[in-house]
Amino acid sequence: MRKTLGIMAGAALGVTFAGSLAVAATVRVTVAEYSSKTGPYFEAAAAAFEAANPGTDIQIEVVPWDVLLQKLTTDISAGTNADLAIIGTRWLVDFVEEGIAAPLDEYMDDAFRSRFFEVFLSPSVMNGETYGLPIAASARAMYYNRDLLEQAGFDAPPDTWEELAKTAAAVSALGEEVYGYGLQGKEIETDVYFYYAFWAYGGDLIEADGTSGLDTEAAYAAARLYKSMIDAGSTQPGVTAYTREDVQNLFKQGRVGMMITAPFLSAQIKEEAPGLPYGVARIPAGPGGERGTYGVTDSIIMFENSQNKDLAWKFLDMIFTTEWRARFTEGEGFLPVNKEVAAMPAFAENPDLKVFTALLPEARFAPVIRGWEEIAAITVNALQAIYLGEAGVEEALDGAAAKIDRVLGK
Amino acid sequence: MRRSSPLVPYLLVLPGFLLAAFIILWPLVQLGTIALSEVNRFGQLRGFAGLANFAAILEDPEFLAALWRTVIWTVGIVFGALLLSFPVALVLHQDFYGRGLARVIVMLPWAISITMTAIVWRWALNGESGLLNSGLRTLGLLDTNIQWLAQATTAFPVQILIGILVTVPFTVTIFLGGLSSIPEDLYEAATLEGASAFQAFREITFPLMLPFLNIAVVLNTIYVFNSFPIIWATTQGGPANSTDILVTYLYKLGFAYGKLGEASALSLIMFALLLMFTLLYVRLTARRGEDVA
Repeated sequence: MRKTLGIMAGAALGVTFAGSLAVAATVRVTVAEYSSKTGPYFEAAAAAFEAANPGTDIQIEVVPWDVLLQKLTTDISAGTNADLAIIGTRWLVDFVEEGIAAPLDEYMDDAFRSRFFEVFLSPSVMNGETYGLPIAASARAMYYNRDLLEQAGFDAPPDTWEELAKTAAAVSALGEEVYGYGLQGKEIETDVYFYYAFWAYGGDLIEADGTSGLDTEAAYAAARLYKSMIDAGSTQPGVTAYTREDVQNLFKQGRVGMMITAPFLSAQIKEEAPGLPYGVARIPAGPGGERGTYGVTDSIIMFENSQNKDLAWKFLDMIFTTEWRARFTEGEGFLPVNKEVAAMPAFAENPDLKVFTALLPEARFAPVIRGWEEIAAITVNALQAIYLGEAGVEEALDGAAAKIDRVLGK
Repeated sequence: MRRSSPLVPYLLVLPGFLLAAFIILWPLVQLGTIALSEVNRFGQLRGFAGLANFAAILEDPEFLAALWRTVIWTVGIVFGALLLSFPVALVLHQDFYGRGLARVIVMLPWAISITMTAIVWRWALNGESGLLNSGLRTLGLLDTNIQWLAQATTAFPVQILIGILVTVPFTVTIFLGGLSSIPEDLYEAATLEGASAFQAFREITFPLMLPFLNIAVVLNTIYVFNSFPIIWATTQGGPANSTDILVTYLYKLGFAYGKLGEASALSLIMFALLLMFTLLYVRLTARRGEDVA
């Protein structure tokens, strides 16, 4: 009798144990909050996945962009990171070199691979292995205010930086509260706002010899152009007080003639300033005809220490299907990374998006180097000193290049 | 009466000490370990580094600049708040109609998180669409918009002013507590002896308030020295690091540049600076207290 009881108890224990195992099929996902739609989107995806795969639990952690890297750092150092996480692809090299991101090739077949545009998948490939999938993709183009440009006597947006400077001066001359070129001088992507001109003048962030390209004629010319526009009043005053969002706000208020930013401004204008007569054009070319837009992808990675890699992959597989990608891409105002999504009418027939996708062949991505964030900060500091007139163009850029070379180990 | 064992006081202190040790000493040990190690971007230790992290901090020109700015920031806010809070507390201590409401209004900013306050200020300080410029223009005090956050010469003083504003409620609370601890009969006696209001303030209120002034100085210094949200929300220490104080510089080192070893070293340096200040200040004021007694 006692024996049977013992067996029964053991069986009961076994059942509970098995039950808890089934529930324990948990995948935690850290996602960046791109907009108020991000959280609900991933919650919906998790719910759909759990419904299709009973006994699984997808936990979504939504983190604001500004603190994403901080959260990942603290989680990883404490060993409490999630199974999947969205990261800026420019950070990926650190994740790969420290063995934190898991290679995904064993899960990917050719059919899966062919869902993506190669240009967006390739930034996540390192040493021949794929470490991330492009969850968000974006490029930059020039927005211009048709009314302001027309009033200033220009029928078409400028196609070179020289024309842009002239157009900006003419627009600024229209009135006291109107500025020609919205120039970003603060916080994230202040460096990129300079690279648009820098690339057009033929510059490269990292030279062929592996050193910084900031101490070259191209960088001097681009910085002189921006500084002369600031001094001439062709930009909004006090550029170092303006983040990208601040400049976008001026543009939405119809107070800035031209600015360069991402596709999401189109979506914002549609909602907040539907009457604004704007157009989207290529980023102007330099004297040699070169031009470059900034391409950005964010990747979703799988952690090497994940206990549920197969299940995590299954979830990834689902959110990269056409249906879920279309929902995400349209909600957030990103560029489609799936070919089938891009072919959908909502994307293929959107005139603004067309301009952006046409720019992709000339898109430049942040170089795959360690310490990218520090290099960006050094560049921003030098630019702010130039914009404020606290340092000369050559002096500031040479100093920044020397510091960057030290970060690069050159 | 039976004398209790000399161990008893220590035993009684022990639980509190253990709790404090868990909260303070354990992280300190962790920080020390990281500061003496080679650390990768994700805080994983990769070997012993000796004092290399400390040396890197001390060699960084940004460190000295940020340290100097931290001194200005702390002294400016702590003494600004003292100067503003003392009269406010004296007024609020008087019995007048609507005192309850006045106290609530002075205390109200305390109920809002500093980050929220700082973000509201960031909007108010916006050069083109900010409330401050439009208010000043309406009053006729300004002809052209000032871009408050575009350069340190305007941004840093404004940040210190915001710091003073958010420090006042706490300081007033300390002072009100101090004022109510002064017995009324001292003033009655002084009035009988023919003392003027100013004499009463100088001979009674001020000396008896000294301990509370000291508490306000020490606590505010600790809070303000480590205060992150105001500067981060308005300028992130920019432009060109010109409004960085040690904490914002620390945050950049640790979480933007991924130099967790140097960041740990810096936070230990900051801890040591604060500890030294507090010990020194308490020592000085305690000695002065003995002299007076």
